[in-house]
Amino acid sequence: MKKFEYYKPKSLTEVWELKEKIPNSRFIAGGTDVMVKIKSGLLIPEALISLREVPELKNISVGKNIRIGAGSTITELIENAELQTAIPVLVQAARRIGSLQIRNVATVGGNLGNCSPCADTAPALLVLEARAVVRSDKNTREMPLQDFFTGPGTSCLSAKEILVELIIDIPSPQTKAISMKKGRVQMDLALASVAVLMETDGNFCKKIRVAAGSVAPVPLRLIEVEKFLENTEITEEKIKEAQRIAMESVSPISDVRTTADYRRHLVGVYVKNSIQSLMNGGRHEKRN
Amino acid sequence: MSELKYIGKTIPRPDSGDKAAGKALYIHDLSRPGMLYGKIKFSEHAHAKILNIDISQAQKLPGVMAVVTAYNTPEMRIGFLRDNFILKKDKVRQFRDEVAAVAAISEEIAEEAINLIKVEYEPLPGIFTPEEACKENAILIHENDPQGKPLKSNKVPVLFQHSSGDIEAGKKAAKHIVSGEFSTQWIQQSCMGTAGAIAEFDMNNNLTIWTKTQVPFLAQRDFLGFLPVLGLKEKNVRVIVPTLGGAFGTGLDTHAYEYICILLAYKTGKPVKIVYDRNEEFACLSPRQSSQTKITQGCDENGKLTFREIEVTQDNGAYTSWGATFPSVMLLPATSLYRVPNIKFHANIYYTNNTYCQAMRGYGNPEVNWALETNMDELAELVGMDPYDFRMINCNKSNETTPMGLKVTTCALDKCMESVANKLDWKHSRKQQSKFRGVGMASLFHVGGGGRIYKSDGTGMFLKLDDFGNVYVSHGGVEMGQGLHSVLKLGVAEALGVKPEKVFINQVDTNTCPWDVGTHASRGSFMAGNVTIRTANELRSKIFEHAKTLFPSLAEKNLKSFCKKNPSYEAPKFDIKEASQKGNFDLIDGYLFIKDAPKEPWLQVELGTLLRAIHFREQGTMLSAQAFYDPPNELPDWDKGYGNMSAAYAVGAQGAEVEVDIETGEIKILRMVAVHDVGKVLNPQTLKGQMYGALAQGLGYTLYEQILTKNGKILNPDFRDYKIPTFKEMDFPIDLEFVETNDVAGPWGAKGVGESGLCPTAPAIANAIYNAVGIRVRDLPITPDKVLAALEEKRKQNKK
Amino acid sequence: MEGDMKREISFIVNSQQMKLEVEGHLRLIDLIRDQLGLTGTKEGCGEGECGACTVIVDGKSVNACLYPALEIEGKTLITIEGLLEEDNKPSFIQKAFIDNGAVQCGFCSPGMIMSTKALLDKNNDPSDEDIRTALLGNLCRCTGYVQIVDSVKAAAKEVRRKS
Repeated sequence: MKKFEYYKPKSLTEVWELKEKIPNSRFIAGGTDVMVKIKSGLLIPEALISLREVPELKNISVGKNIRIGAGSTITELIENAELQTAIPVLVQAARRIGSLQIRNVATVGGNLGNCSPCADTAPALLVLEARAVVRSDKNTREMPLQDFFTGPGTSCLSAKEILVELIIDIPSPQTKAISMKKGRVQMDLALASVAVLMETDGNFCKKIRVAAGSVAPVPLRLIEVEKFLENTEITEEKIKEAQRIAMESVSPISDVRTTADYRRHLVGVYVKNSIQSLMNGGRHEKRN
Repeated sequence: MSELKYIGKTIPRPDSGDKAAGKALYIHDLSRPGMLYGKIKFSEHAHAKILNIDISQAQKLPGVMAVVTAYNTPEMRIGFLRDNFILKKDKVRQFRDEVAAVAAISEEIAEEAINLIKVEYEPLPGIFTPEEACKENAILIHENDPQGKPLKSNKVPVLFQHSSGDIEAGKKAAKHIVSGEFSTQWIQQSCMGTAGAIAEFDMNNNLTIWTKTQVPFLAQRDFLGFLPVLGLKEKNVRVIVPTLGGAFGTGLDTHAYEYICILLAYKTGKPVKIVYDRNEEFACLSPRQSSQTKITQGCDENGKLTFREIEVTQDNGAYTSWGATFPSVMLLPATSLYRVPNIKFHANIYYTNNTYCQAMRGYGNPEVNWALETNMDELAELVGMDPYDFRMINCNKSNETTPMGLKVTTCALDKCMESVANKLDWKHSRKQQSKFRGVGMASLFHVGGGGRIYKSDGTGMFLKLDDFGNVYVSHGGVEMGQGLHSVLKLGVAEALGVKPEKVFINQVDTNTCPWDVGTHASRGSFMAGNVTIRTANELRSKIFEHAKTLFPSLAEKNLKSFCKKNPSYEAPKFDIKEASQKGNFDLIDGYLFIKDAPKEPWLQVELGTLLRAIHFREQGTMLSAQAFYDPPNELPDWDKGYGNMSAAYAVGAQGAEVEVDIETGEIKILRMVAVHDVGKVLNPQTLKGQMYGALAQGLGYTLYEQILTKNGKILNPDFRDYKIPTFKEMDFPIDLEFVETNDVAGPWGAKGVGESGLCPTAPAIANAIYNAVGIRVRDLPITPDKVLAALEEKRKQNKK
Repeated sequence: MEGDMKREISFIVNSQQMKLEVEGHLRLIDLIRDQLGLTGTKEGCGEGECGACTVIVDGKSVNACLYPALEIEGKTLITIEGLLEEDNKPSFIQKAFIDNGAVQCGFCSPGMIMSTKALLDKNNDPSDEDIRTALLGNLCRCTGYVQIVDSVKAAAKEVRRKS
């Protein structure tokens, strides 16, 4: 392996200074993706710039809205009592990431920044309509998280931009949400994952957001399912139809992990089960 | 039999402490002064001509001490068919073919050098299935045999077959017949500690190699065959086995990387270490043999089996290793699981450009068991019988000889199956009290008293006593996590009569340990125990012989001290000299005493005291003993598939209760039960550990594990995409029971059981799935997408 | 800010203050095994999948194979060697593993034990689910996990007894 330098800037200003000095350097946060890529030879960095000790990235707060610093570790996210109360669906999804060892160092920003269609936090963040705040030394941008992902492994970030935080509007008290994920075994990348968020009044669906991962080039909202169910009376037939629409809304691939057909089927099942579960008042996954 | 002191008790293993402290030294942790690091360049094609290998850039890299290819080193053929080469010349036949290797002063430099080696290939059409391989005009993977004679086909010249009774008569006598085709996949042994070796020559050109092997003496023989090729005549090889990070069959053959390691050590005159990283372990170390099985069985109207026909086809991969001999063990369930009068078994194996395969736990038994035990359920259904009742009708009994000539001594298969049925509340559970839940069972029949696949199935032991009552054990059996050291320690303590703390096990070293054929075929404990008893008895005889003359004076010395401390003591009248002369001694927990003497403390002589008395005198001596045990089994005639290959047989049954999620196709294991006839439980804790571990491997084999390839390239050479069971897959209750039948051939009655635990797992689960939802998947692993496809197929069938 | 190929860093390892010159491309596992000579931490996969390299940094279990070596600066590291008590005595966790049959080939054991320590330091009465979740990232091929769970429970009992 080619040797490289490793820098530990203490502020965003330092980060950009380093990036300016070494344009071919790469950012590293928790390292659970970058280090694997380096080991396999997929990435041969000239230098690494660590974002671990940049305080501007570490803040988690629940106030007027919810702000999650991109440098927060998954464990920090999961253990944050305010997040557990305000947005339990994200905590639920984050719990399924890898192993405890991985969660202790992996970051929210890294999980998204890697731009894998399998990013475990993505479906939950999408249904929460999270906005991504992206900064360079010259500019700050804010965008719906959906726009952050541009393709498998690619984001909208330009060379000096960093994802700094996620902003989530505090969900209304009537909001309920659930996420589901399936791997081949319990510690695995998602074969398919789904998140559903709803606000209902009896059987009337006032609001619904549905998102899926590992079934398309990027994590995505299943807008057609949302359109079909929002502002309607939810019935078993409608849920069945929603399942069918969900299956048609995705474009999974076959790979070493499983077949496209199975992914497609799973998305449908999870959308159905998620909605049923939320309609029945449950917040927890049936089984997976 | 007098009560056993240590055998049968749960006593922590002697090697656990160092391993738990991180002090045990695996090949990864060892280094030698001046050591170089070796790395291998592997082929980038499944099948191609090698046009040119340019090593010039690599040679120039500072820090590189040697670069070897088949073009600058003598040819060396390896493998029992001698069809493999340690470095490839002229062509590559699989993706992992070794085309070059480098020794350098650091791993990084070695890796960089590998990348500087340029190989030019001319790709050839590849063959990736046995069907393709046996087509007429299929390209030949090997053009010539090892003797240079041209080959005409891709069929591997390895024959295993069996024919007994009259198959046609059996078919005629059958009222019900069921056929089926099954397959098992490549899986990886997935030892947590990867493969590796360190080779070093001394200035006399004798070789020492530390290596991850289960067959140190066969490895020594193999490497001895390499030295003359290097131009070294009459030199020796010393194989030393470090702590192993698991083995499961990976250490039963010698591998190209070991020879390359030796080659580099010779060329550089320095110690060379080659260790596989996880990717190399997956992509470049042979996985478990895959298989395709066609089975037909028939039974009469009463459910008695009348015939069994099994045909196995195997994908050999590019070269031949022990995977090709899986049929030798397949013969066991094929001919001897359940009583069948008319049997035909045949196995074919073909070269392909896939990775070549090697041994793994079970060695063919799980493969055929998968087909056989599923077929049993299918046949039972046709007869209209409960599968448990059906099995009981055909159950093996003790003291019978099977059609293969296997002389079954102890066999509690009926008890095992009965217990499994009881534990699962069989009749009740079969009626599906809950939807999508079901129970299934399967049995096994395996070797339990060694396995003669070589001319010798023997093992030796050498016991040495020092001046302090410590005993040192030199034995060639390999501890690879299964608990062999526990058996050795407790066995020697038990058989000799000393405390376990006084027993020290020497490292396996071909220089110092007596010969052993290898730690395979579940023979470890069976052999170790039997040779321990014989060696210990020999040593006891020697001790007692000396005690005849020396015991009286030592006892009298004791008495003097005792009386000093207890002035009022009156010793009972006893003629020590006369009693000693008779030699009727016993030794327990390191104390020697005369058997029918009064139980006075001064009449117990500490062993060390006696040993020093034997040693420190004129014409003194030190005591040691040795024995060689070769069990009463036979080398089968493989042409006939006949011969009593083991001295005892392990039987057992497993059951599973499953729940099928018909939406996602996931199989949830609710519980498993396993009842094994083990002869005798040597150490309950380590035996349970073996069974749990085997069951976990069986579970992985059945539901999760698969090496995926495309045109010969392994697509998932890492734990990210090759999934073995984790804590959460194993979170169901497991009910283990051991039946003790006290086999006459076994040490303290024990039979070998290292492999039994994973033989019947797949059909037990599959039969439970069928009970739950009425579908069968016949190609392992049973993944959710296959379950869904089968459910969909069933729905379509029901509609018709 | 200057970036050297090698930088001197201070950290605590197994209760000892340490100062080392460390190259930027190294992983914590390289630092532990090669520079500190602590070979108890094993590399099973190098990709964070098997957990054999689990160590504890600032109280949290991490995979040393994915942890850049320079990140240990200013932190507290515990490896399996750090669990050894005075007079060459195994810690109670190691003793629980030894007594309950959790060690077979032993390659996964140091990682398992470190994950166990991290768990028990936080939760001295873990449920079966808690244990399996905390140790999910530690693979074992020999034991089937059953006796490892038994060992963790036994060690937890000991923690409760001592407190």
